[in-house]
Amino acid sequence: MAKQLRIALAGNANVGKSAIFNQLTGLNQNVGNWPGKTVERAEGTLHFKGYKIRVIDLPGIYSLSTFSMEEIASRDYIAVEKPDIIINVIDASALERNLYFTLKLLELEAPLIIDLNQVDFAAKRGIRIDVEKLSEALGVPVVPTVAITGSGTNELLSTVIAVAEGEEKLKPLKVRYGKEIEKKVRSIEKLVGAKLPQLCTVYPPRWIAIKLLEKDTDVAGKLKNHENGKEVLNYAEEWATELEKIHGEPSPIVIASERYFLANKLAKEVTAIEAPPRISLEQKLDAITTNKIFGYPILASVLASMFALIFIGGNFLSSGLEFLFNNFSIYIKEMLSSFLPAIAVDLINKGVLAGIIAGITIALPYIVPFYIILALLEDSGYLPRAAFLMDNLMHKIGLHGKAFIPLILGYGCNVPACIGCRIMETERERFLAAFVVALIPCSARTVVILGLVGRFVGLHVALALYAFDLILVFILGRIAFKALPGEPVGLIMEMPPYKKPSTRNILLKTWSRTRDFAYIAFPIIIVGSVVIEALALSGFTSYMAEVASPLINGWLGLPPITGIPLIFGVLRKELTLILLSELMPLESLTAIQMIVFSMVTMIYIPCLATIAAFKREFGWKKALAVTTIDMALALFLGGLAYRLLSLVMAS
Amino acid sequence: MQFRNRGNPKGRNLQGSEDLISLISLSEGKKGVIAYAHGGFGLIRRLAEMGLTPGVEVKILRKCPFRGPLEIEVRGVALALGYGVASKVLVRPLKAESNG
Repeated sequence: MAKQLRIALAGNANVGKSAIFNQLTGLNQNVGNWPGKTVERAEGTLHFKGYKIRVIDLPGIYSLSTFSMEEIASRDYIAVEKPDIIINVIDASALERNLYFTLKLLELEAPLIIDLNQVDFAAKRGIRIDVEKLSEALGVPVVPTVAITGSGTNELLSTVIAVAEGEEKLKPLKVRYGKEIEKKVRSIEKLVGAKLPQLCTVYPPRWIAIKLLEKDTDVAGKLKNHENGKEVLNYAEEWATELEKIHGEPSPIVIASERYFLANKLAKEVTAIEAPPRISLEQKLDAITTNKIFGYPILASVLASMFALIFIGGNFLSSGLEFLFNNFSIYIKEMLSSFLPAIAVDLINKGVLAGIIAGITIALPYIVPFYIILALLEDSGYLPRAAFLMDNLMHKIGLHGKAFIPLILGYGCNVPACIGCRIMETERERFLAAFVVALIPCSARTVVILGLVGRFVGLHVALALYAFDLILVFILGRIAFKALPGEPVGLIMEMPPYKKPSTRNILLKTWSRTRDFAYIAFPIIIVGSVVIEALALSGFTSYMAEVASPLINGWLGLPPITGIPLIFGVLRKELTLILLSELMPLESLTAIQMIVFSMVTMIYIPCLATIAAFKREFGWKKALAVTTIDMALALFLGGLAYRLLSLVMAS
Repeated sequence: MQFRNRGNPKGRNLQGSEDLISLISLSEGKKGVIAYAHGGFGLIRRLAEMGLTPGVEVKILRKCPFRGPLEIEVRGVALALGYGVASKVLVRPLKAESNG
């Protein structure tokens, strides 16, 4: 049996950590969640020199998202699970900033190897780093890599093995603070060691002491469960107060300053700036794309071409796949009929099969191109620029620029967009962003709007519906912003330099996201299809349509039979149009009816998969609240539109 | 919470607070040294973690009009700060000749 090793990748965001992960593990990876946290956890395996190595990609710190949640997930994993080796990926072009996190890892007393990544990019900026000197200063091996091309990854793995086999010894740097802080850390450490022996088997006592002095709420929370925790906490608090008195600043700031001071010193010692950096192509691109005048038309054309590509590509793929699968389903139906009763055939065919087929032929063709373009925008570094440009506008609805990113995602599919709201800092911002996202017409809703209103009433009317939706998003976002308790959070976001994305990375990202989407959406689609088919077979659906008739016909002015597609639409929005066309010729609807129908479909409920995503991110209560609000809103606005449009048409 | 600080850990005294201006008053291309940030505990802590600690030099790379966000350079990294956030960070402006 192969010898086993467990290694973890840790580091700041934008250092190419996921590229290293992809280089190491390729397709042998899966993405999930950290238990109890909405933080992504990716894991993979590889074989090297007779070792089976499990690689855990710890969440990137200070990425676009809540630094604390991800940092806590990372450090808990390191302390509790104690992986054999931690590879700290750092960006050679921003050494000081990255060493800050390295120092934190050293404080955790973790077995560390440094992966000095993006050395090519740093060289281009005229930054040369003395690898030996850095390794000497930190007391751990440093391996230079270029993640995009994969250069250096073999050396990295060889170093991992050398350290694991004890050939290479680690003599990690002991992080020492100034006299004032050091004195306090030591006296807290002593008490921690004496009073909390259990906790000290997991976390190093010195680390606990530093965190307590820094007023780390997570560590303080851990102490509360221990017998002597309260005593230690009070003791540490006294010291923290004294530190604050001396420095006139909150203790976390004092300690962060010291740590940065050390990182700065280290970085200076090992860095040589060779040439004053010339203005590079990336910098020129950066200047134009965030320009206060040109930035906006560029953003608009980037988004417009993105949607055009998705719809053209999606349409093409969708019709091709549909043709293929429809023949397949006829074949299956015939085969099943030979030995199963008609009801079972219908359940399997219209339920299970139709669900899978619709998922593959309708959802995936739009999702896959969307994910490819998204990965492209992400890896190139454009998304933070878009967020930067939109910050001002997003503040109007109580969010900041970063929320623009899930909003764009929403036009593709609400499910990843809802998960994408994790990049917001607080629970409040995340929910607010997700609430707005649910109102964004995803590709399925676009199919209905364009396929009904766009085709029969006119493209300009369809576009007007989109504009109306944007206004609605804005108004509702503003109301929700005022209604939800809590303070809005301002924008603090890193702006990574532009980089040339790698094809391999983009394809891997697209693959893992598509799989993630399929895991969430397909079970829901299939189970839902079967349930609804069963309801239809039992006659319940037509009964419901009859009951709903006063609402559908009386209030919305739609033919009563349209209630059926609207009910089915909960499953997948595009189904409303497909079913409608099966129930009646689309042309028989009036223009007003088409507009009202599309509008209701656009707003009335995020589909079942989105509700499931909401539940996963925010719990049942909020998922139901959003569903109820959207449904009420759709019916209210639909009825209002029917009356207003009738008035306008009559006059 | 507000910490008005006249000195930093290294003991270099900043001149009286009358020389201090908010980041948003610093024009594009100009540099300043962070004195302190005021605002919620969470905010100043986040700023410190991102490297915006007292005594560090920052440069304004870009400013958006109409109370839009700022892009600054700190510790070799470009950071975007919302207008509200930036207005809470006070700096001592550096003269042009101290560039480089």
